[in-house]
Amino acid sequence: MSTEHFDICVIGAGPGGYVAALKAAQMGARTAVIEQGNLGGTCLNFGCIPSKALLSSAELLHSVQNARKWGVTVGGEIGFDWSEITQHKNKILRQLRGGIASLFKGRKVTHLAGRGRFERAGRIVVTPGEGAPQTVTADKVIIASGSVPMRIPGWPTDPAMVCTSDEAVHWTSLPQRLLIVGGGVIGCEFACMMQAFGVAVTVVEMLPNLLPTLDHDLGAALLAIFKGRGITCHLETKVEQIEVVSGGTVVRTQLSSGAALEFDRVLVATGRRPNTAELGLDAAGVQATRHGFVPVTDHLETNVAGHYCIGDANGRCMLAHAASAHGVVAVENALGHAKPFTAPIPSAVYTFPEVAAVGLTEQEAREQGLPIAIGRFPIGHLGKAMAARHPDGFVKMIRHRETDQLLGAHMIGQNATECIAAATALLHKKASLHDVAETVWAHPTISEAIKESAEDALNMGLHLPPRKVIRAAVGG
Amino acid sequence: MRSITLPPLAGGAAAATVVRWLKQPGQGFSAGDALVELEIEDALVRLEAAGAGTLTRILAQPRQTVRPGADLAQVTDSGTSQPPSQQPSSPSESHVTRQQPTAVAGTPANVTPILMPQAGNTMEEGTLISWKVAEGDRIQVGQVICEIETDKATIEYESPDEGRLARIVVREQETVPIKEPIALLADNDADADAYLAARGTAAQETTAPGAVAVSSAPGAAAAPSAAAQRMPSGPAPVTAGGRIKASPAARKLAQERGVDLSRMGAGRGPEGRILSSDVATAQVGASVAGDGQSVRRPMSKMRRAIGLNLQKSKQTVPHFYVRLTINAEPLFAYYRARKPQTNCTLNDCVVLAVGRAMAECPSVRSQIHGDEIVEFPHANIGIAVGVDEGLVVPVVRSVETLTLTQLAAETKRVVENARHGKLENIGHGNFTITNLGMFGVEEFGAIINPPESGILALGAMREAVTVEAGAIRTGRVMTMTLSADHRLVDGLLAARFLGRLREILENPSGELS
Repeated sequence: MSTEHFDICVIGAGPGGYVAALKAAQMGARTAVIEQGNLGGTCLNFGCIPSKALLSSAELLHSVQNARKWGVTVGGEIGFDWSEITQHKNKILRQLRGGIASLFKGRKVTHLAGRGRFERAGRIVVTPGEGAPQTVTADKVIIASGSVPMRIPGWPTDPAMVCTSDEAVHWTSLPQRLLIVGGGVIGCEFACMMQAFGVAVTVVEMLPNLLPTLDHDLGAALLAIFKGRGITCHLETKVEQIEVVSGGTVVRTQLSSGAALEFDRVLVATGRRPNTAELGLDAAGVQATRHGFVPVTDHLETNVAGHYCIGDANGRCMLAHAASAHGVVAVENALGHAKPFTAPIPSAVYTFPEVAAVGLTEQEAREQGLPIAIGRFPIGHLGKAMAARHPDGFVKMIRHRETDQLLGAHMIGQNATECIAAATALLHKKASLHDVAETVWAHPTISEAIKESAEDALNMGLHLPPRKVIRAAVGG
Repeated sequence: MRSITLPPLAGGAAAATVVRWLKQPGQGFSAGDALVELEIEDALVRLEAAGAGTLTRILAQPRQTVRPGADLAQVTDSGTSQPPSQQPSSPSESHVTRQQPTAVAGTPANVTPILMPQAGNTMEEGTLISWKVAEGDRIQVGQVICEIETDKATIEYESPDEGRLARIVVREQETVPIKEPIALLADNDADADAYLAARGTAAQETTAPGAVAVSSAPGAAAAPSAAAQRMPSGPAPVTAGGRIKASPAARKLAQERGVDLSRMGAGRGPEGRILSSDVATAQVGASVAGDGQSVRRPMSKMRRAIGLNLQKSKQTVPHFYVRLTINAEPLFAYYRARKPQTNCTLNDCVVLAVGRAMAECPSVRSQIHGDEIVEFPHANIGIAVGVDEGLVVPVVRSVETLTLTQLAAETKRVVENARHGKLENIGHGNFTITNLGMFGVEEFGAIINPPESGILALGAMREAVTVEAGAIRTGRVMTMTLSADHRLVDGLLAARFLGRLREILENPSGELS
């Protein structure tokens, strides 16, 4: 068995691993990346990209269905061609995978196809689908093995009936009645998309809010929009029983609310678990939590020197762009810098309207007992939003009352995922709310709402009624 | 030299941050002058001087966050100190942003509704105080057309559109939810009436499909809009099933207001169907005509405030009740003995005893603010006073530090002021005493006045037969019922507190001297 030595070996070629490999190569390291599946990981193959490809068709369909609102008449039958939509999706996935492969080639990154498993620290056996295993050794190892969707133990396992997002982004046909278990980001995106494709969607969420990890006002606003579209949401509800009946064509469920409902398909979107069980972490001495997450220092290093863990596998923030950002910092640290990871990570939810957030939520700020002021601005007050007939949503800014520092920004509205970039940059640079308010924002844009809500948080808003003034007599 | 402290904050905010001082050390101020501006999460707080004085030293600097009860500055009194005038949240002027009328399904293009504006995030409904224009007037954009009262302020509403005011939909003193039409702009009245009729129909279709059986008698199919213009004078039409034809919105409103649809006559909807607007305008006449006795009038602000406050209390504060009957002979004797020198009432004696018991019981001198407990150094006791329109609760501060003479005088003063509309020390109370004994009520349980810890309900001092150490005795007794907020006071504490109060009241000459 041949043994090849590298300066850096990356396990996994998702958005964390492939970026880490490119960064390592850019910095002059001899780099290998181990990937058993397609390049691009969950993001490219089962997540961000395929779902956005489907969503773009769903959103257009939604617009065409409502074209009359814009004074546009559409003749004939409005419909869609699912196979055309999935072909477009598959095409861009191939393009992007090819893109990563050529980036690897351009920087001379060695791609080892197969499953990586530690033999000991710094030594990994790569087992390809076909052919002989190969052993590699490396001075530094970056674990970027990502995560997989959670399945619920005891539930039917037929992936055609009870699916996760892995299957759902590659559905070849659509159900008529879909149950989505979990009202988080994935659940809400699919609910929105599937409703536009004419699927009767029911969302069941255990917690009292949609998008429970984000600021609660966002979930509440999205809930109102979903209700208006006819998406049924059962909050604070559990699926108590689930069985496939009628010869495997119908899923019968019993909810904790007592409702007994039948569906053609079920999408389980209750979260993701780290993909670390098969890595042989024990052999390397790398510690993991009971759930399989690999704890890391602020420098993204595990308990074993020279072994780093980035992205979903470390459980710090399970988002593609977090993994990429981790990847760059971990490589820099591996190659001799000492740089903690501190950048704020934005969240983006691709419903329509979109939801985006960065920094502390109101609830988190409260829990920390911070003296905060909250600024809000309804997107519907903006000229651009009115003109474009996209008045739903708001921006909410959290300000530290003593330091004036921006603590968090939360948005729901058209283009929110683009607008949040501005707030993220300001937060990263530790801007004060005065900095935000003094920045000039182009008119007419949706991002003006960021400035307006910042002014509101400073009691300086011009386009809102004056803030409530509470008067009290003292010293009597 | 004394300090001014941050009073408890509206909405239970835990802390406020100083924005700026409007008076500087050395500067004098008179009653009503704004001293300092602070901010909480979603509002500004402006503290105004209750009396005249001079600011000597600022203790809470700008950008400093302080909690209720914290000292903000030191002041010296100058001249006569006036009784503080209480303005918990005097209506500040607010400007209403222009509301774009939201399209109603099937809005005829030639009718523009003017909607109840949402002046502020929390506003849910508004009361039309007065119309400044009349039906038939031409109105301009920005012209003040009416005055609207919100939960916080009275505002002048500027028209968001121009045109001819065809119909006033909401009359003066009526309250409607935000975004409901209050008036219609249209060049001719028929369009406006057709719009109103269509709204009734739309409400039926969207809220309860198939809930109302619409007669399909031949010939009655097409209701011409001209026919819908005026209120037909006949009786309300009835469906084949005997149900009065009315829109679901009208039924709901009628139920809420106790209007009997069967006594209403035909409405302005198609085929005389009763619409919600018919119910709204017909309410007084219909009910008076109904039984000739009942009179309907809007709730006063005070009744509404009492209602909201106590409803919120009963729904959100975990009340529990502890009751105890005391031997009131010693108390009665004490009262009779002290009355000539102190001019006290029996109630004053009990208030003083409660103040002394509270001094030993920190949980009872506390308020609850969100997840935090604010413990006060003193027993600040509210005294429930019945007035014509309802009930007010002026507060006497630091009761435990007063002598009976001082307490009697202070209580008399705050109660007198309360009867004349001046409420003192609102928000500082941590406990309330309510007494229906003078009406012979034996015992009752009261609702806590949030954010206070509890309320003590006093029954009448009455003669009763009691058993003491196996012997039957007659004498005066009094029953007291403590309602306590379980988040602040547990059962054991409540029992100890009442037990201590009994000790004091059964030995007043020893304990209260």
